[in-house]
Amino acid sequence: MENFKTLEPLKLYAAPSTLGLTRKGSLSQRQTQYVGRLPSDLHLLILSYLPVPDFPAYAQCSHSTAALAESEKIWGSRWKSLKVDKGLSAVLDDLEEHSRGRVAESRAAAPPTISVDDEFGDFASVDVPQDEMGDFVGAFQNPTTPISSTLWSAKPSFTSTSRGQYIRAHNLLKPLTDTLSSPTHIILTNLASAVTPSLRLEASTLRLLSLFLSSTIQPIRKWRESRSALSSAMDRFDANLLAAFDQADEKGDEKGMREAAHASWLVWDGTEGDWEMGKVWAEKREIFYDQPWDPLANFTKDHQLAFDAMDDFMSTVLKALSEHGSRAVRVFLPEAGVLIAFADRVASDVVGEYISSLLTRAREISVDLYLKAAAASFREAWKMVDAILSAGGESVSKTDAEDVVYRMFESNMDEYLDEETEVVKPAFEGLCKGWDREASQRHNDATARFLTSHNPSQVKRNVLASFTDVLLLPVTIVPKVGGALGGALVSGGTAVGGAAAQGIAMLNPQRWGGASSVSNIPEGYQKHGEAGNEMVFEIGSDEEDDEKDFANGMEKNPFSSVSNGKQRHDSLSVPNPPSSAKSSSSPLSAGTLMHTKDQMDQMDTLLSLDVALELIHTARESLKRLETFCGYPNRIGERVRDTIEEVFILMLQALGDGHIKKGFSRWVFMQVQNRTSSSSGPAFRATERMTSYKPAEHDSGETTANTRVAPLLQFFELVHIGDTIQSMVQVYFDKELSPHLDKMDFLNPVMRQKKLFENSLDDCVAGGLNAGTEVLMNQVEHIIIKLTKPREYYPPEQVKVEELDLKESKGCVEAIKCLDMHCKLLKGSTSKEVLEVFHQEVGIRLIAILQKHIKRQIISLTGGFQVIADLNAYHAFVTSLKVPSITADFANLKMLGHVYVVEDAKDLAQIVRDVTRYGGQYRPEDIYEFVQRRSDWKKIEKIVDKTMYNLSFKEDCVIC
Amino acid sequence: MKNVGESDQPIPLPNVSSSVLKKVLEYCEHHRGEPLPAPDADTSQDDTRKRTTDISEWDQKFITVDQEMLFEIILAANYLDIKSLLDVGCKTVANMIKGKTPEEIRKLFNIVNDFTPEEEVRLLALPHSYHQLILSFWHHQAQIKKENEWAEDR
Repeated sequence: MENFKTLEPLKLYAAPSTLGLTRKGSLSQRQTQYVGRLPSDLHLLILSYLPVPDFPAYAQCSHSTAALAESEKIWGSRWKSLKVDKGLSAVLDDLEEHSRGRVAESRAAAPPTISVDDEFGDFASVDVPQDEMGDFVGAFQNPTTPISSTLWSAKPSFTSTSRGQYIRAHNLLKPLTDTLSSPTHIILTNLASAVTPSLRLEASTLRLLSLFLSSTIQPIRKWRESRSALSSAMDRFDANLLAAFDQADEKGDEKGMREAAHASWLVWDGTEGDWEMGKVWAEKREIFYDQPWDPLANFTKDHQLAFDAMDDFMSTVLKALSEHGSRAVRVFLPEAGVLIAFADRVASDVVGEYISSLLTRAREISVDLYLKAAAASFREAWKMVDAILSAGGESVSKTDAEDVVYRMFESNMDEYLDEETEVVKPAFEGLCKGWDREASQRHNDATARFLTSHNPSQVKRNVLASFTDVLLLPVTIVPKVGGALGGALVSGGTAVGGAAAQGIAMLNPQRWGGASSVSNIPEGYQKHGEAGNEMVFEIGSDEEDDEKDFANGMEKNPFSSVSNGKQRHDSLSVPNPPSSAKSSSSPLSAGTLMHTKDQMDQMDTLLSLDVALELIHTARESLKRLETFCGYPNRIGERVRDTIEEVFILMLQALGDGHIKKGFSRWVFMQVQNRTSSSSGPAFRATERMTSYKPAEHDSGETTANTRVAPLLQFFELVHIGDTIQSMVQVYFDKELSPHLDKMDFLNPVMRQKKLFENSLDDCVAGGLNAGTEVLMNQVEHIIIKLTKPREYYPPEQVKVEELDLKESKGCVEAIKCLDMHCKLLKGSTSKEVLEVFHQEVGIRLIAILQKHIKRQIISLTGGFQVIADLNAYHAFVTSLKVPSITADFANLKMLGHVYVVEDAKDLAQIVRDVTRYGGQYRPEDIYEFVQRRSDWKKIEKIVDKTMYNLSFKEDCVIC
Repeated sequence: MKNVGESDQPIPLPNVSSSVLKKVLEYCEHHRGEPLPAPDADTSQDDTRKRTTDISEWDQKFITVDQEMLFEIILAANYLDIKSLLDVGCKTVANMIKGKTPEEIRKLFNIVNDFTPEEEVRLLALPHSYHQLILSFWHHQAQIKKENEWAEDR
């Protein structure tokens, strides 16, 4: 069909046969059409201000004005302003019913005049005299004339337009306005008789009338006067209702109360102020007058919090709330919102007052207490939400109920949030500073060694596992005195976080030593230590005894204490004590030893898991408090979230900058200091650039197990601790903080700070590694130099190649052992990248050392095999590190060894020249240098030169 | 007036004469600084807002002009989209209509009576039966439409 639309013969029918009105009928739609002087839309605007009684005259002007007067737009807005909903339309129906009843009466009295024959029957127009006010009659029915009600009901389509609906309402309400000229009490009785007698219907009628007599509608000429009469009638009505309500309330007659309340709510026009009845009712509740409680009872004598008093108080409030609240729900209409208003009043007048005086007092005592009290009292007040919800049933939404508490507490929030960050910051700083102070004072106080003494990854797992457990422990926000909630969780007045503190204490490695209470963890690592690395374990077990010895020694005399102190450090590697003669031989040396020992102790204390734990714990406590508030909407909610983030950021800053960075940088500083002091000190040889006690050890011949570099070990310990701290931060972040922010949001300040923290830790590790590597390599060089016997590679002539046991030299073995151990120590504690860089660095430096070392030696043909054996060993070690670049370098270095075993000079020259043999790493000139170290060099020099450069010095001279 | 923009370009006002514009400007000058109605204040909202039939004293005085001028002002206000002035004008006109006979209203608006004599008679005989007239017309149209549809169906 649609395809043929253009063919519709519309024009045929649209043309002259229809009345000239067609065009006018559509007039109102066309904006530019003028009716008289004004466009039609302005006419409509004017009509919207025109009182209803003037419409007939206007409509009679012309066809177009008649059409305009019918416009849906005008009547629609008037109908809408009556706000007839379900309840009010019931009133209309009721009014209709009644007027019909009267019609029947009047019909009986006098038969109605026959209505005009109207072919559509829409208008029950009857010829009636204009009423004295010149009101709009006829179409809108004169009250004195009975309407042919059948017509109304018979034509439901009629009421489908706004105009029709308005006409109906107008006809029904108009008669009622007549009574408004009479005195107030008569008005009410008259109105009451118009409807089925019930408070509700009467109220609705009043309401409808007041809407009807509005400036929007202007239904009658005298609407203003009628309106004021009506409003005084309404006031009177409302006053009656209030009295009735009070009576019912006294009697506890809920039905009476409900009826009065509903009627009063209907009469209330919702414009001025609050609804009287609900307010009056709420104000009368005795909870507002009878306030025997004392907010200050929440403080114990020693200025701690114990919220039992508040508990009691809240239960009273809740009881009142649920008792009165549920009655309010039964009595008042849900729209009136009396329950929420009542709860609001209770919250602000009773609970709010209580809390504010509580908080003021808490603040006087201490800020810390204030924070705790704020969180606790909010948690307490939160109970109101449940009470409101249970009292309100379905009529109250959860948000409304929560808003009551939020509104009440909002005044405290700004202050609280400010304080929270302000308190947390110095707390963090104080923790770090306290640690620093302690560390600097800690000279004799030996602390337990931690990570050096056992397998790091295992312990780390243990620590993290217990840390996670600690995080899962519940935090008591509301402190109580008695063991009402179970003694384990609540200890005295300081119960907030008590359990957590206990748990964290368990974590403290320093308390692991001999503490039987937490034996499972040490056991775990001891076993592991035994299985894995015996030497490592040995250190751990020696520890305490050493310390005791040390302490005893201190009492006896300084010198023995030195030796004991030395032993303590040596316990890393050497169980037998060093010769005291050596240490006492030089006072200067002893003094330095003492000094070094102290430094070593300090190193132990550069970083502390303890501090990290305390920091995280403080942050967590604050977070838990803040979490109580995290449901807050709008601005405050945002502030709460911001504060949560801020606290975390502050913690990271304290942990990163205040603790880790400081610790690491101090360590690096110490290394530098050590080196400068030792190299400048005249008592030390230049080669002993390491730490002061090691050379002594060597001199005394205790070289068996000297494969450790104490500072580096210390550093690795630092790395382990740092790594553990980072893991702890990560766990804390995942478990506690991630619900509060978007992990994917990389612009979030928290995420950025976290990245920064991790980076700075990596930087510290890298910086430390650099210093550490240097120390380690110095040590390796030292070992190699010390342990290489003068004729290591130049054995006496009589020894034949066959007789040599081609094993690595001792220096090589020890050096590799030392390297191997340190490389392994780091495994698992730092990222793979860092480790690779470290290994590479070690490899590169090792090559340099070896090259230098070889160049220092004189190597015979027989010794060459020894060289090769050593180089093979080094190569094997480096291969085990699995860093491709340095593995290749060592393969090349291995090839270099061959130059020492080739007997024939010409062949040797070939090898020297063959660059590809060494993978391009060594030029012929470099190889030439190495070849010079051969013991028979003088003999073969000329031949090699000649073969290599195809010339001899003699010939050169000839040419010259 | 509203901030049209700092432009030297003349704004053409073909429908507004100078004397009327002067009057309009006077109104605008007096009401300068008053909050403008929200631009999207549609019918639902201004139903409640503008619906005070009262006109302020100054406006009352201002709008007391001859009919010719009044309509000119209304037209200008409509053209220039000055809502408050338009409202004042329309309220005044509505007040003028109050209590007038149809003939007087026709004169006011300069409307030609286009009712046929028969219609006139009916109107006079039955006060306010213009409704019927219009309804009869509608009915007629509906019938035509029906016929159309019927023809279409065929």
